[in-house]
Amino acid sequence: MIKPGNNFFIRHILHFYVTWIVKRHFHELKFDAIDVDPNKSILLIANHFSFWDSLILFVVCRKLTKKNFHVMAREDTTVKFQYVKHGGAFSIDKQSREILQSLGYAAELLNDPQNLVLIFPQGKLYSNFVNTVQFEKGIMRVMEKANGKFQLLFAATFVQYLKHKKPTATIYLKTEPSEGKSFEDLKNAYQMHYDNAKLQQTEIVI
Amino acid sequence: MIPQRNNRLIKKLFVPYLTYRLNKAFKMIQHDEVELLPGHSILLLPNHFSWWDGFFAGQLNHTYLKHDFFIMMQEDHLQKRMLFNLLGGFSIKRNSREMVESLQYAAKLLDNPNNLVTIFPQGALQSNHIDEITVERGIDYIVKKIKGNCQIIYYSAFIEYFESLRPSVYIRFLNCGTNHNFDFEKLKAMINEHHKKALKEQKNAEH
Repeated sequence: MIKPGNNFFIRHILHFYVTWIVKRHFHELKFDAIDVDPNKSILLIANHFSFWDSLILFVVCRKLTKKNFHVMAREDTTVKFQYVKHGGAFSIDKQSREILQSLGYAAELLNDPQNLVLIFPQGKLYSNFVNTVQFEKGIMRVMEKANGKFQLLFAATFVQYLKHKKPTATIYLKTEPSEGKSFEDLKNAYQMHYDNAKLQQTEIVI
Repeated sequence: MIPQRNNRLIKKLFVPYLTYRLNKAFKMIQHDEVELLPGHSILLLPNHFSWWDGFFAGQLNHTYLKHDFFIMMQEDHLQKRMLFNLLGGFSIKRNSREMVESLQYAAKLLDNPNNLVTIFPQGALQSNHIDEITVERGIDYIVKKIKGNCQIIYYSAFIEYFESLRPSVYIRFLNCGTNHNFDFEKLKAMINEHHKKALKEQKNAEH
């Protein structure tokens, strides 16, 4: 398992670089204003359709809160792009036994109110057009271990061009109570949020 | 109504520039094959969801369909960018008397088997996520006015990123037959069925 890097300089250079490329690539990032609890860490659950999502959410999270950004990434991605670990990425490998270590590490991060952990429950890239968001079981383990010390946040991202040359990313955010949720509850709650967001995206006519 | 003022030199100069711009903004434009009938003009009906749609159609024509390119644009949009007038753009003003004139003009262009006319059947910019494509009645009017042979082709385009930082465009064609034995209701049903199928394929697309 690869843990996040702790190099002050690389981290800051990455912060600037990511903010810059997101600003350059997108016409606009639209997101909902969310109240952040300063005494709790944040577990952010999002749909995964491109390499951009973690970068977009990184920028959005920086605008919303000053918490330290962490993201669960696939082992091969983290190995291929070594620098992402300095942006807060830690790895997970579904096929190995280290998966438990990675999930435990995510839960550990959530114990500190200064942290924010982004997890893509789909576990791999899916199309942006899917109707249902798949959930892997691991997310439940993280939530059980962290035991309510975090604020649960849902994000549904959609990228569309419409009338601009550059695409617009719309991020629908929502806070959700995390206590006493079973795997099915979590899945359904996210699905409801996702359906709602998708409907709003579909209704756009210019 | 503003008729087209096609200029071959400007078109020749614009094509490489467009290729450059598309390559810069997109990783690839992937399309499948469609059976092209020889000696037919083409009425191309793409879905309309972005600023780039007209350029996709232009590029597809250049690389694959290979006809003389014309495109129907909203009058106020064309007035702002009169360059497109020299590249085959002609105008339509919805809900005005001139509208019929524009439709007749499009039909007249389609009489020539070398021509291709692009018309967005939705008549407005809609989300890429919709599963219903509305086809405006004007299409019916145009096709019935065509005197020569014309093939009608629809395509659904989708933009997705996956592993790349640059998006890719996925285009799926549908051959809607010719202007002979044309039925508007059948066309609408065909387009919607195809779009739903294309959307489903897109959800399971390999990447």
